[in-house]
Amino acid sequence: MIHEDIRTLVPQRAPMLMVDALLDVGLEGGRTCLTIRHGNYFLDEDGRMEEAGILEHIAQSASAVAGRHAVAAGAASPPVGYIGEIRKFKCHRLPREGETLHTTITLGAEAGGVTLLRGETRAGNALVADTQMKIYLPTE
Amino acid sequence: MRLENHYYELISMHTDGQSGRFHIALCPDCEVYRGHFPDNPVCPGVCHIQTVKELTERLTGCRLRIRAIRLCRLTAVATPATCPELRVDIRLSPADNGVHVQARMADAERTYMEYQGEMEKDKPETE
Repeated sequence: MIHEDIRTLVPQRAPMLMVDALLDVGLEGGRTCLTIRHGNYFLDEDGRMEEAGILEHIAQSASAVAGRHAVAAGAASPPVGYIGEIRKFKCHRLPREGETLHTTITLGAEAGGVTLLRGETRAGNALVADTQMKIYLPTE
Repeated sequence: MRLENHYYELISMHTDGQSGRFHIALCPDCEVYRGHFPDNPVCPGVCHIQTVKELTERLTGCRLRIRAIRLCRLTAVATPATCPELRVDIRLSPADNGVHVQARMADAERTYMEYQGEMEKDKPETE
């Protein structure tokens, strides 16, 4: 468990903060979690998190990994990243309020500030979603 | 949260059942911009995906789930200040147990998103 406040690792804030903690991190990726609380911005009227919320959670999970590397390299604040591309996203089920998402980020190639990654999100033992993504992190 | 009337307002809609052209206005006071990002309001790409889902629900008349996104390219950064109004074109074609959705979000200046994926009728699980 990494004891840093997640807000030191990602630039998003409420109501768009969709990651609670970076659980572990390495050069090849990391793991995060998010408990879906009452009032989460992406809950539908039946208390399920919409696909957009899951995607934002995966993107911010990758952002937290990148933020941790940036802070370790001396950055004063976490980099602001943008989703450039989503490919092969599959949503197997919509998680409900009260569930905790666990997401594994696997980093791939990086070129010109664009990082390719894979994200897989589970709740309990069940696969929620998996995707490939390109995140654009402008370098200063 | 439904984004219609929070994140965007629907200005006009022209459909022929299998395709639709929608004009929307982004709401600059939407609460998402408090956190995305503080003092730097930028449209979250995922809100554009959710907007396409909601507009596709209007087109089909059913609640939908996104089963898969084959490819979604976010080709330009959108903000409510630089692109206050957007055009969303959606084209549907049949897919196994659902619809294939092709969508494009643009204004006169540039394209912000190109989207291809499959949606299916929502079946809320009973628990």
